[in-house]
Amino acid sequence: MSKNPDISVPPIPDEPPKVSLWELIFFFGLIGLTSFGGGLTAYIRRLAVTQKGWLTDEEFFSALAIVQILPGARVVGISVYIGNHLRGLLGATVALLSIMTPPFILVSCLGLLYFHYGENTDSKALLAGVTAVACGLMASMVFEAGQKSIRGVFDVMMILITFLLVRLAHLHVQYVILLLGPIAIWWHRPRPDKKDEAQKQKEAVS
Amino acid sequence: MIQTFGHLVALFMILSISAFGGGKVVLPTLQEQAVNHYHWMSNQQFVDLFGISIIDGPSMMVVTLVGLKACMEYGYVIAILGALVATVAMFLPSSILVLIVGRFWDSWKTSPWHESIQRAMMPISTGLILAAAFIIAKHSIHTIPTAIMGVIALCLMLFTKLNPVIMIVAAAGISWVFLR
Repeated sequence: MSKNPDISVPPIPDEPPKVSLWELIFFFGLIGLTSFGGGLTAYIRRLAVTQKGWLTDEEFFSALAIVQILPGARVVGISVYIGNHLRGLLGATVALLSIMTPPFILVSCLGLLYFHYGENTDSKALLAGVTAVACGLMASMVFEAGQKSIRGVFDVMMILITFLLVRLAHLHVQYVILLLGPIAIWWHRPRPDKKDEAQKQKEAVS
Repeated sequence: MIQTFGHLVALFMILSISAFGGGKVVLPTLQEQAVNHYHWMSNQQFVDLFGISIIDGPSMMVVTLVGLKACMEYGYVIAILGALVATVAMFLPSSILVLIVGRFWDSWKTSPWHESIQRAMMPISTGLILAAAFIIAKHSIHTIPTAIMGVIALCLMLFTKLNPVIMIVAAAGISWVFLR
């Protein structure tokens, strides 16, 4: 097979390429080692779709769509999906283990250090800065998530109701989702008239 | 010990399949359970652990550290085992769900309900992340210097593409020098 980067559409998209388990371990292990920060799904896409050609763009975005409506960390979901796509259940297992092991070791070691040396002025000073930045990161995620989710008054109301249920009523996340999820899904239910309008608009534009 | 493992598994398996919009959304419930219900740690320790956990890995590596702390009283070896149990319980159920849904995906990929679910769940996860941010803020922004650092981190995240790990390491250094 010639490796030509100009070929944007692989010849047989239905047949996943043969990839060794070692390659999967190396690929996802590396992502696990360096996995923090936004744009990680973009990074995985660039490596797996553009560079390695393990799956087509369409397959990747289809996978992303699944992972986005399911619970759990997006990076982990995408990795499991790609592993399964390439090597079945074994590939999915290998992908999950490879992406989780490096952060597990690193974070556990830091945790042991924290509990071993925890209560002294040095670590307290150090962590004051770390947690302040953590707070800033969380706040930035609120902005990003808000930007993506707010498209009307209903969305703003759902954000506020969710917040109040959790903060004031101390309702657990699973009950919040069971309670508000169906209401919100019903509100955003597919409406044929709307779709027709969108279709008409599209046609009018094109 | 076995009982603690049982509590970890039960808690994280539920949180795993509730984490619509990523791991961060379960943070308020995790804090409530780990601090107020099971008394595994103090609020300050919880926020410290969250700060440590974001250095690497997918969102919610803090579950690893909650597992570690929950089993800490039985010694370091059991503590690491607890961390492992918590991590598996948090990441396995949602991964299995991806495999199951992935198998049936093609048949309802074109369904308009797909977009309905996505649009419906996003504001809910935003509200949950907002609640999580409040918890972290309450126990991390104590003084004017920490407030300034938090705001700077927020601005850097929103307006630059700086890697957050660099911010965390820099903040640790700065606060070690100036706040000690």
